[in-house]
Amino acid sequence: MVQTSNLTFKYKKKEAVFSFPSVNLQEQENLLILGKSGIGKTTFLHLLAGILKPFSGSVVIDKIDINTLSHSQLDKFRGKNIGLIFQKNHAVKSLSVFDNLKARLFFSRETIKRSEIDFLLEQLDLIETKNSKVNELSEGQLQRLGIAMAVVHRPKIILADEPTSSLDDENCNIVMRLLQQQAQKNKANLVVITHDIRITSSFKNVITL
Amino acid sequence: MNNWIISIKNILHKPLYAFLSIFSLSISVGLLLGIQQLDSSIQNQFTNTLGNIEMVVGAKGSPLQLVLSSVLHIDNPTGNIKYSEVEKLAKNPLVKTAIPISYGDNYKGYRIVGTTAGFPKIYEAQLLKGKGIENSMEVVLGNDVAQKLNLQIGDTFLSSHGLSENAIEEHEQSFTVVGLYKPTYKVIDKLIVTSLGSIWDVHYHEEAEEEEAIHREHKEELIHEEYEHHAHKNEDKEVTSILVSFRNPMGLMTMPRNINTNSNMQAALPKYELERLFRFTGVGVKAISWIAYIILLISCITIFISLYKMVRERAFDLALMRTYGASNFQLFRIVAFEGVLIVFISLIFGFLFSQIGLYFIVSLFKSQFQQEVILTFSTIKMLNSILIILIISMVSILFAIFPILKMNISKILSDEK
Repeated sequence: MVQTSNLTFKYKKKEAVFSFPSVNLQEQENLLILGKSGIGKTTFLHLLAGILKPFSGSVVIDKIDINTLSHSQLDKFRGKNIGLIFQKNHAVKSLSVFDNLKARLFFSRETIKRSEIDFLLEQLDLIETKNSKVNELSEGQLQRLGIAMAVVHRPKIILADEPTSSLDDENCNIVMRLLQQQAQKNKANLVVITHDIRITSSFKNVITL
Repeated sequence: MNNWIISIKNILHKPLYAFLSIFSLSISVGLLLGIQQLDSSIQNQFTNTLGNIEMVVGAKGSPLQLVLSSVLHIDNPTGNIKYSEVEKLAKNPLVKTAIPISYGDNYKGYRIVGTTAGFPKIYEAQLLKGKGIENSMEVVLGNDVAQKLNLQIGDTFLSSHGLSENAIEEHEQSFTVVGLYKPTYKVIDKLIVTSLGSIWDVHYHEEAEEEEAIHREHKEELIHEEYEHHAHKNEDKEVTSILVSFRNPMGLMTMPRNINTNSNMQAALPKYELERLFRFTGVGVKAISWIAYIILLISCITIFISLYKMVRERAFDLALMRTYGASNFQLFRIVAFEGVLIVFISLIFGFLFSQIGLYFIVSLFKSQFQQEVILTFSTIKMLNSILIILIISMVSILFAIFPILKMNISKILSDEK
């Protein structure tokens, strides 16, 4: 389902070349990538999401080498097949929780029923904040909205960048449980990159950078 | 959900920015459209008032004053000329019509014009009520005069000497209203039209009375001069000016020069004089237009700054949208729509501002100068102005959103951690 091989990356105007281990994930298989700060974890995640172009190597998702796609094809592919979660969760500030989810679906050219959005919000305990503006949400609610945004369009792969780093143990467990539940529900691969060793036990596949 | 909805929600998210941008742009649009509409309306109005008058002949003085006083009825006359000149001019084969006018009196500020039956024809004025002038001291009222003074057929009034309202120097003979004209939206609406004979009767009757009093005092010395003067007066009645139209362009080419060089009168060409006047007033119009363009530039800079700032401040939002599947072009459109919406709302408000402003200016013209300005649109001029506004606004929008094309999503998403 997700394969990378001989993946390297080089920043412009910098000599150093980052090399990343090859990955081969089957359907619904999850992966934890552990590494210290500055080692290139986020770069690896951005390569997997097609946000960065590799210096060499390939990223194949659902049998498609994403780096062979044109800009617009890649935008569409990312919108449809990938869900991204960030450490510090953001959503479009001018839109409400519900509108953010609708915008997410609009950009990925997906349509789902209103009731399904409500069901997702209920699962993530966000239904009360459905019409609230993003800046009215607590950190925890924002974190859950980030998860909702990553899964609402039923992606094939969910990529999470340090999703638990700033959370206490209890919330760390809640977020990991939600992420795994949603990945399972959507039959998606979950790839988490972090330096947070508390979540190591939640994964069978762990790669250390 | 679509790009427009996202743009509208973005605008509503920063209402103060949106308000300031719309307000300043509306003011400049309003000023630009308003001043152009007012300028072209006044020019139209003046040109319309000319009718078929190609030349005005009057006493020597300022030609512009002669045109303003005899054609537009907004200035004092340059003096009087002999009525015999009218007869001479009318006989000239190049002249199609020569309509004498004589004025110097008013009723409650409205000018009383003594003239012939040809005068209302210049303005295509038709009777609404009553009849035309048949006898001395009969008047037909322009539509504005009848409405403002609430005069009806059969009413009588005493005129005052001079062209502005005063109750002190009233004449003794009263005028009788015999007819009302339909509205023409031309200068005749503001005039009280009578026959030349009426004007002469009012003035010569009073002159005769004054002279009689003097004669009683110096009867013996003046007895000889009296007879001579009366005989002379009957022959040399005076008018203020003659409104002339020609049979062919040859008249226009030769007659004004002839009159100006070979007589003690002057000939003025209304079209030429009005163009000269517009050149003077055009300086004011240009100055206001430049001010409007400067405000337009400032408001476009405001739009540029607010959009540019928005692109910077919402870089993460925009980067997020990219991760959601939005293309660069889609982000470009969302932000551009915000600018375009602001510009279009400003155009609508600007147009409304211009119409409200013009309404007050027209009311002011009416109350202060008794001049009714009929507002007309010059579609080409208006489209030109709108095109300029759109071009300047679009350039500022494009400059503001250009950084989206160069946006490094990876860096923005990484930096935000």
